[in-house]
Parts: sequence; C-alpha cells; structure tokens
Amino acid sequence: MVSPYFLLGIGLGLAFLLGLLGQKARKSSSILILVALFSFVGISFSWLWQFLQENASVTQFFSAGFKPPFSIALQVGLHEAVLTSMINVMGLFSFVSLWRNMKDGNEKLGPILLILFMGLNMLVLTRDIFNVFVFLEITAIALGGLILFDEKKHARSAGFKYLIASALISTIYLLGAVLIYFSNGSLYLDDVMALNNMSPMAIVAVFLLILSLVLELKPFPANGWALDVYQGANPAIGAIVSAAIGSTMLFLLYKLMGMAAFMQEFLIAVGLISFIASNLLALVQKNANRLLGYSSIGQIGLIISIIGLKDILGDQFLFVAFMILITHFLAKAGLFWLSAMLKSDELKAWSVFRKKSVLLVLFGIFIFALIGFPPFPSFYGKWTLIINLAETHNYYLIAAILIGSFLEAIYLFRWLGYAIKVDFTEYDEVKINWEKLIPVLTFGALLLASGLYMAHLMPGIEDITLWPLLFILAIYLLDFLPAYIKNTISIAALAYFSFIILPPYYEKDLLRFIFLGIFAIGGILTLIAGYAYKGKRRGFYPVALLMYAGLIVLIQAETTLSFFFGWEIMTAGSYFLIIRGKRSMEHGLSYMLFSIGGAYAILAGLGLTFAQTHNIDILSLASVTVHAKLIFLLLAVGFLTKTAALGLHIWLPGAHAEAESDVSPMVSAILLKAGVFGLFILMIAMGKNPEVASIAYILGWVGALTALVGNLAAAFQEDAKRLLAYSSIAQLGYILFALAMMSHLGWMTAMVYSLNHFMYKAILFLTIGAVVLRVGTHSMYKMGGLIQRMPLAFIAVLVGIIALSGVPPLSGFAGKWFFYNAVLEKGWYFQGAIVFFSGIVAFLYLFKLIYSVFLGQLKDNLRQVKDISIWFAIPIYVLILGIMFFSAKPEWVLQPLSDMLTQWYPNTSLSFDGLYINSNFGYWSGTGVMITIMIMFIVLLLWLWILSRKVVKVKQFNIVYSAEAPQRPETTHVSYNIFAGYYKALGWIVAPKISELWNKISDFVVSVAHFGRMIYTGNGQTYLVHILAFIVVTFLWFLN
Amino acid sequence: MEFDFKHLGFTLLGLLIVLNWGLLMSALMQKIGARVARRIGIRLYQPWIDLIKNYAIRSQISHGIMFYLGPVFRFSGGVGIFLFMPLIVGSVMWSNYSFQGDLVLIMYFQFFGMLGMALGAGESGHPNSAIGISRGLAQFTAIEAPLTLAIISLAIQYNTLSIVDIVEAQQGGIQNWSAWTNPFATIAGMLAALGSMGHSPFNLVKAPNEIPIGPPTEYHGTFLGVLRTNAAILHVMEAALFMNLFFGGANNWFEFILKTFLIYFWSVFVGVVFPRFRIEQSVAWFFKIPLIAGVVAIILFM
Repeated sequence: MVSPYFLLGIGLGLAFLLGLLGQKARKSSSILILVALFSFVGISFSWLWQFLQENASVTQFFSAGFKPPFSIALQVGLHEAVLTSMINVMGLFSFVSLWRNMKDGNEKLGPILLILFMGLNMLVLTRDIFNVFVFLEITAIALGGLILFDEKKHARSAGFKYLIASALISTIYLLGAVLIYFSNGSLYLDDVMALNNMSPMAIVAVFLLILSLVLELKPFPANGWALDVYQGANPAIGAIVSAAIGSTMLFLLYKLMGMAAFMQEFLIAVGLISFIASNLLALVQKNANRLLGYSSIGQIGLIISIIGLKDILGDQFLFVAFMILITHFLAKAGLFWLSAMLKSDELKAWSVFRKKSVLLVLFGIFIFALIGFPPFPSFYGKWTLIINLAETHNYYLIAAILIGSFLEAIYLFRWLGYAIKVDFTEYDEVKINWEKLIPVLTFGALLLASGLYMAHLMPGIEDITLWPLLFILAIYLLDFLPAYIKNTISIAALAYFSFIILPPYYEKDLLRFIFLGIFAIGGILTLIAGYAYKGKRRGFYPVALLMYAGLIVLIQAETTLSFFFGWEIMTAGSYFLIIRGKRSMEHGLSYMLFSIGGAYAILAGLGLTFAQTHNIDILSLASVTVHAKLIFLLLAVGFLTKTAALGLHIWLPGAHAEAESDVSPMVSAILLKAGVFGLFILMIAMGKNPEVASIAYILGWVGALTALVGNLAAAFQEDAKRLLAYSSIAQLGYILFALAMMSHLGWMTAMVYSLNHFMYKAILFLTIGAVVLRVGTHSMYKMGGLIQRMPLAFIAVLVGIIALSGVPPLSGFAGKWFFYNAVLEKGWYFQGAIVFFSGIVAFLYLFKLIYSVFLGQLKDNLRQVKDISIWFAIPIYVLILGIMFFSAKPEWVLQPLSDMLTQWYPNTSLSFDGLYINSNFGYWSGTGVMITIMIMFIVLLLWLWILSRKVVKVKQFNIVYSAEAPQRPETTHVSYNIFAGYYKALGWIVAPKISELWNKISDFVVSVAHFGRMIYTGNGQTYLVHILAFIVVTFLWFLN
Repeated sequence: MEFDFKHLGFTLLGLLIVLNWGLLMSALMQKIGARVARRIGIRLYQPWIDLIKNYAIRSQISHGIMFYLGPVFRFSGGVGIFLFMPLIVGSVMWSNYSFQGDLVLIMYFQFFGMLGMALGAGESGHPNSAIGISRGLAQFTAIEAPLTLAIISLAIQYNTLSIVDIVEAQQGGIQNWSAWTNPFATIAGMLAALGSMGHSPFNLVKAPNEIPIGPPTEYHGTFLGVLRTNAAILHVMEAALFMNLFFGGANNWFEFILKTFLIYFWSVFVGVVFPRFRIEQSVAWFFKIPLIAGVVAIILFM
C-alpha cells in the first residue's frame, strides 16, 4: 500500500520547490502541479482498488516509526480511500477549471491549491487530534488565499470574513484539543475513543471539538460568513468549498463522533435546523452563487443530521450517508462549475444555457439529483433513510426531512424553470472553454453512471427498468436528427416494448394489462401526432419517452421501491413535457411542486408501511394494521395530487392548457391514469382493511365536489384547452368517487370511465390542439364557423363530446349507467346526486366548445385555414374507432372487466345475458340501443331528405336579423361569456378560493424567508457574534 | 328479444296516436291560455294545418350540414324517448322498446335531441339561437338537480331503475301511487317538470318577444315541420314520464290521455299565472324549494 506520507511529501515538496525556483519555474509550474494532483488521484485510487478488489485491511502509518502518542498516525481504510479519491478527483478538476485563472501572473494560485488539497487529504487520513488542528489551519489559510487572490468584486471582503471566522473556529478546536490532552495525556484518536469513562473535562473537550467541526460545516444561523464566501468567491472556488471541503469536514465530524456519542442528538437537531432554515431562506434568493451556498449548507445540514442518526440507522447508515454525500458532492460541484461559466450572478442568466443544450441537460441532471429523483444515488439514499426512520418510529424526523427537501425543490425547480423558459437575449452569451466543460461533463456523467449502477445493485428494482433509461440516453444523443426520424424511432421503441411486455399481462393481470394498454397505445397514438411538427424538436423525445418509461415501470412494479421509482421518473418526464409549452414556466413549477409534495406523501406512506410489514412487496400495503388511516391518507393525498382532486388541482388547468398540442393529450388522457392506477392499488389494499372505510367516505366526497367544481369551472372558460383541462379535473373526480365506493359496480364505473376518458379526452385534446396549431389561438371566441374549413376536426369533436356527455348510444353512457347503479347500491345518494348534476353541467362546456369553435360565424382571418394535420387526424380517428367499437359491443369489454373485478368483490349483482347487462336495479343493452337509434336516425333522416330535396345552401350572414344585415362575424358570433346568467346564479361555487388559499400559504412562507434572511447583515462582526452566540446557546443547552 | 314485426307495428301505431294526441293537446293548451287572456284562441285543428303548411313550403335554405342534421337529431331524440318509454301498464306491445334500457337511458337520451338541436341551431350562426341555447342548457342543468334527486328517491323506494317495474309497483289504487307514497319526490319532480315543459315562467329559452323563438330562429319550412312534429311527441312523452314515475302509469289509452293532459296542464296552469324569470332567477329557483324537496325525499327513504 502506498504510504500516505507521499501525499504530504509531494504537496509540500512541490510547493516549496516552486517557491524556491522563483520566476523562472512559474511558466512550467502549472504542468508540475497538474502532475502532482494526478499523482494524488493515483495514490488514492490505488488504495481504493486495494480495498475494493483485494480486500485489503485498514492500515495505520506512523510518522518516523514511533508509536502514538509520540508520532502522528495516518489511517488508510476503505472510508479514507473513498473520501480521498473524491477529494483528489475534485482537486484535479478544480485545477482544470481554474486553469485560465492561474495564467497571466496568477501562477501563485497553483501551489496554494495544491496545499489546500494536500491539507484536505491529511484531514481525512489523520488520527491525531492536534494534527487535525494543524491541517485545519493550513486549509483555512490556503482557501483564504485562493479567495483573496481572485479578482471578483466581493472576493476580498469574503476572504477576510472567512479568515476571521475560521480563526475563531480553530481557536475553539484548539481549546478542545488542549483540554483533551490535559485530561487524558494522548491526542491519538484511537486512544481517546478507547476511554470508557470520560471525565467532565474530557466531555467539555470533546464538545468543543465537535462544536468547532459543526461550525466549520456552517450551521444555521452561524453561517453568514460562509454565504458571503459562496457569493463573493469565484464559483470554481465555491465548488471546492462546497464539495471538497464540505465532504472532508463531514468525514472529519464522522471520525471524531466516534468519541462523542452523547452529541448525536445535537447533530440531528443542528443538521435538520440548518437543512430546513437554509432551504427556507433560499426561497427569496436571487443570486445564483449565494443560492448554491444556501443549498450546500442545507445538504450538508442533512448529512450532519444523518451522522447524528448513525445509531438509529444502524447497518444502513453508511449507505444513506454516502448516497446523499456523493450526490451532493457531484451535483454541487457541477452546479458551481456551471455558474463559473457565466458572467452574471442572476438566476435568470442561466437561461443562456439553452443555447448549449448539453449544459442545460447537465443543469437538469444536477437539480434532479439534488432533489432525490431516480435514478440518482440520492433517490436510494432518501428512500432508505425514510424507510429506516419509519421503522424506528422517528416520524417527526421524516416530516422535517421531507419539509426541508420540499423547500429545496421549490427554489431549485423555479431556477430550472428560469433556465428553460426565461428570455435569454439580455444576458451575455456563454463562452465554453474546454477546461470549464470537462469537469462539468465528467461529474454529470459520473452522477448518471453512479445512479444507473445503483439501480442495478439495489434490491427491489427490476433490471428491466434500466433499459428504457439507457435507450432514452441514446435518443438524447441522436437529438441532432430531424424530428420525424426520432419520432419513428420512439414509436418503434414504444411499440416493441409494449409488444414484449403487454401480452403476458392479459392472462396474468388484466388490471395492469388495461393500464399498460392505455399507456402504450396512447403513447404510440400521441406520438404519431408528432409527425406534424417540423424541424428537430430538440429535447422532446427523451423527455416524452422518459414519461412513458416511468409509466411502464410504474405498472410493472412489484415492489414499493420500483413503484416509487417509476412514479418519480414519470413525474420528471412529464415535468419537462409540460414546461415545453410557450407560457408554461409557472405551470411547470406548480406541477412539479404539487408532484413532489405528493411524492413525499407517498414516500412517507410507503415508509410507514415498511415499518410494520418489513417488506417492500407492493402487496404488503394490504397488510398494514397500525396507523392504517394515516398511511392510506398519505398515499391517497399523493395520488390525488396527480389526479388533481379538488384542493390539489390548481396546477392542472395551466399545465394542460399551455402544453403543446400533442403534449396535452399525453399529460391529460394518459398521464392522469397513473394517478388512477395508484388509487386502484391503494383501494385494493384499503378494501382488505375495514378500519379505513371513513377514508373512502371522505374520498367519495372529495371526488364528488371535484366533479362539480371542475365541470362548473370548465363552463366558464374562454380558452379551449383550459376548458378541457377543467373537464379532466372533473372526470378524474368521477373516477375517484367511483373508486371510493369500494364496490364491484363502483369499480366497474371507474374502469369504464378510465377507458372512456382516455379515448375521448385524447380525441378532444388532439383535435383542439391541432385546431390551435392552425388558427394560432386558444380563445374560443376568436374562432367560430370552422366546421366549413375543418370537417374532420368537427366530426372528431362531435364524437368526443357525445361520448363525454354520456348521451346514448356512445360509450359514455355505459359510465353513466354503471354510475346510477353503483350509487344506488352503495347508498351514497347525495354525493351521487352531486356527481349526476355535474355530469349535466358538462353539457354547458361541451356545447360551448363545439359551438364556439366550429359553429356560429366564421371569422375573416380564418377563411383560408386548412383542416387539421393528417398526422393528428390518424390517431384521432383510430380512437374514434375505439369508441365506436366500445359503444357497439360494450359487453365485449365490460364482461372481462366485471370478471376481473370479482377477484376483489366476488358478490356482484351484475350479470351479462347475451346483449343485456342486468343489475339489481336496472338493465341495458348497448348493442340494442345502438341499433335502435341508428335505424331511427336513418329513417328520420330519409324522411327529412325526401321532404327537403330543394334545399339551398346560403352564404354566411344570410339570417333573419330584424331588418339589419350583419357583416362582422365578431359581432354576430355569440360566444364570450355565454353563460353569464348561469355564472350569476352559481358562479360563487367556482370562485378561486383554493388558489387564494395556496397563494396565501406561499406568501406566508416567502415572508418568513424574507424575515429570516435579515439576520445576514453582511457585516463580519455580526457574523462573529452569531458564531459566539451559537457556541453559548449550545453550551447552555448541554449544561442542561 | 327477437325482432318482431307485430311489435314494430304496435309501436308505430302508438307513435301515431301520441303524435296526434300531442298536436291536439297543444291546441287545447293554447286555447286554454287564450281563454284565460280573454281571447278566442286558435281552432283546435290549427296544429295539423300548420304542420301541413310547414312541410309543404317550397323555398328551403340550409346553413350547412349540422344545421340540416339538427332537426333529425331533435326528432330522433323525441322518437327515441317514445321508443324507450313503456306506455300502457302490463302490455308488452305497448311497452315499445323499453326492454332495451331503463330510466337512466331515458334520462340521458333526452340530451340526444337537445344536443343535436343545439348544434344545428348553432350552425345557423344566428345570435338569438346561441343565446337561446345557452339559456336552455343552463336552465336544463338546474332542472335536472331536483329531478335527479326525485328519481334517486324513487329508485330507493322501489329498489329499481326500471320504469316498467316502477309503474307496476304503483298498481292497485291511488294510495299506491308515488304521488301518495313519496310526496316529496313528487313535489321535486313536478316542480322540475315545470321547467322541462318550457312554459312561463321558464320560457326564456324561446322568449318570444326578446329573442324570437330562440334556438329554432333560423328553422323554417320542412325543418320547422320536423321540429313541430317532434315537439308534439316530446310533450306527451315528458308528461308520460312523470305519469309513469309519480301517478301510477296508465292502464289504457284513456287513462294515458287523461293523465298526460293533466300533467301537461299543470305547467300551463302555472304558466298563465306567473311571468317569465330571467335565467339567473330560474336557475336559482330550482336550487331552492325543488332541491330541498328532493333532499327530503331521499332522506325519508334512506
């Protein structure tokens, strides 16, 4: 094993040598330092190799051959090997990223950097308490130098504040080290840890040591100096502070905690407070580097608390800590390096990365990794953390961690939204130098690779989930191809994938077969519409496939882990799909925040489930006994954010309405079914637990009110897509209500609605989307009379609205019929009546939709408009065929559904008798009604035709109009606010109270953040007071 | 059930009876209304003359395919409700095609004609049509609220959604009628009926002196003839629905005619007394007493 003293030798030796050689060697110094840093990497990797491949044992190296306490011991174990590898890789890439800064007379920075990283290595390796102090001082001075030498505007004051603060902190450390030596005669860590009974003085000493390390890790509120450093220093140095120094100090803390078990609770508290507080304060931050600083402090706070949780997490501790640390390390360094490429500190300036899409993708990867999305390591870390905390009944900690993570998600996704959407023309263009690009690219790739590797290792994640992700990566690399090629590849991939996985489910599990069918067929059909788009459509296909991959994983999941994995992948994909819309920035954010909130509720629910079942099998949900209500409520809330139940719905209208024309049907007709599937899984589990009937009852009411409010709100929209979006909310309300009935008929209703909603909402969204592409507006009152120009679209919308409204003979009626029977059987009369009433309200918006767009007066500017694109018409008419089939032969679909549902509800009054469907209450023959109505319609049509053969088609405006001659279509087309009277009577129901409530909540949080931020005055003396106050308060706390 | 020419024949005969009774009834109602207003009123055979005249008018214009299909949808709606409605208790032949679906089918098939008509009238491009439709739909949703509650109450009471079964359960004397056994549902249903019959105070859909005849403004000649034919059938069938639900159905054609007359007369009776509501008033009205009556009707049978 290579001796660690080589690190010391190389570092110090080269630094002194360069100093001695003077001016002449300056030119070549960079190369020498690069070689030195490479050798650091080599040494630490050789250790890593030995530990991982050759099972080497932990080795201690002693200086000058003496034993402690007369020598300094350096220990090399697996942990040290990993940490030094991370640090040295960081050192190497930091040097690369600062390459240009070290030219032109600034060559002196190189040796300082080398010394800094040597110091960090030693901090990791050393086992001597005083030695730690020495290297703390060395790194502090080196870092101070790095900051001060930079030419950035606030670098000087930041460096000064840093030196003052670190001097104070080192003093405290030194005091602790002195006391330790005084009380116990040795500074060798292993000696101190071996002590069984610590004297009061030793306890105080250890307290001071740990406290100073915690202060090094910038706990809230004693971290004003650190924020100024992040803001003032060159971002590349910020990367070192956050990733390298942060990781080192965390490891040091972990190492020294071996003697301070009594401080675990302190670490948990301090860590979580920092995590939540800094993420909260970051909400109002507009400076990118300072924001990253807040985020770093938050993440490090989380890891501090994980170190405190060591005993609670037991075997899983190292896994959790490492997963979160490595994510923080790679992502935060990457983000700082990205920041280094920009001239401006503004968050919105990051929008210039749109011009270099690879940087935008990296930005996205780092953000998603930080929040803990799969497949990144932090996903597994957070999952394991939450599950273990639940198992040990630390519910408050779960809540705190999830709240902190949620706050972090708010500002990070808002930022990502800026990058994707804000107009970038006012910001300086980003100039990419190879030395800036290489580190970011490497770390991004490492992050992805580590995530995929973890997914492979993790029990409970099926290997099959990885292939789609790799395929998506491949599609991203093909992004330079024209859209139609990528479209074909995507369709082929989806078709192939569904061809492989779909058929076996028909026998095995019909429920999953149906949902998978909706996702696969819906996916293919909506992708076909993509041929209508010209150009390259950059970035569309990877994210669309990401969503479909997530959906497929979700359905296939056999464990709660892979269910959650799929759920998060789907959320990520759909977020990018939604935010692609022109005005979708805020809608994308609100979608993401509701989704993350929901996902955390699901995570908490699954964690609590695991705590009692000790099983990640998805069927284990059914066997929960303790806290069943809480668990099911959490899961329900999670799924309801996706189905946009009343109260959690405010993200949907904007997100669906502003999305691109072929994206709206994806996120409405298809994606919403993921929530429905989740609800199915939940309800299947709930069905086995009689205790939770009250939750089903509540969900029933929520569903009914969602249906009412959704439909009423839809009736008052002027934007066609918003109208359809509100309609989706209501339809999902029906489905929720039907599922909550927890009966055979109820679930039949839910299944019929799910199938129907998939078909007609896809038809309507595709058609309206295609119309919008032609006419260039969403506002219905700006359209009118388009039936003459777009007969194909008109027929599609006609079929869609008839099916949606539930008018016989189309399939929508099946849903209504089952609904009546289910409600009567269940006895939920009032909720049922609300749902029926809202079903009738649907006529208002359906009429408005088809009338305002296709009937009435054709506008002058639309006289030449063409019919919808054939690429939209194909999927639309395939779906129409589907509806027609379902309408003509409903029993062919309904009977297998009914049989399937008997596995959960064996007692059903439903019976199939040839063409007739009978229940306890009524009967209905879909085919018979269809035939009767068709014959009657044709006969009556002939009757009219015979009597009116001389009919003449007249031109526009040829109407009976009180002796006036209308000429302007705008004044003759009655459309805007057409239901004004209705609004006067019932508009109060849809007053935006819920949006107001959410706005008030968010205003409150923001104002708290503003208030909290005022403690950071920017004055170094105040910051010192903070540190001292922190010490005093913690000391007083410990005295108690 | 197998296809049966005899059954079809009876059904068509029934349709003819209903059509003529509908025409006569509308003449009677107009006459009554006129007499209340101290006018002489129309001749009783006037509706037939109007119908013949409309069908015979030679000049016919169309605004487009949907405009053309609108009356067909509307007519199908009326005839469809006729087809799915049992007329005479216990008679298979006079039960029409009600074996194909229950009350839910009728409830939702009402919309078939309404929607088609709305679209046809919409294509005419006449603002009055659109205004009339928007009012009609708005009012209709409000009507459905108490009516739905009444129907749910009946379904709980009789434990069925089949109209045939509901009617049969009411046989054996007036004391078995829903009107007697379930008075609140009947109140809710009959108040809702006022709206669905479209007489004053709920006649703002066609509001003669404000938006001349609303949705059908542009329809004339044969189209109007078709619509008038349908209106005659539909009025009788709406009355028949309430007769079946609340007043014991009909054991023979005489009872059928008497009961549908009285039920229809109820809306005319109210209509000649009360002036027209504005749309927000009429919508709000259905959410007051009729809705409360419906809620009480359900609570009593829960």
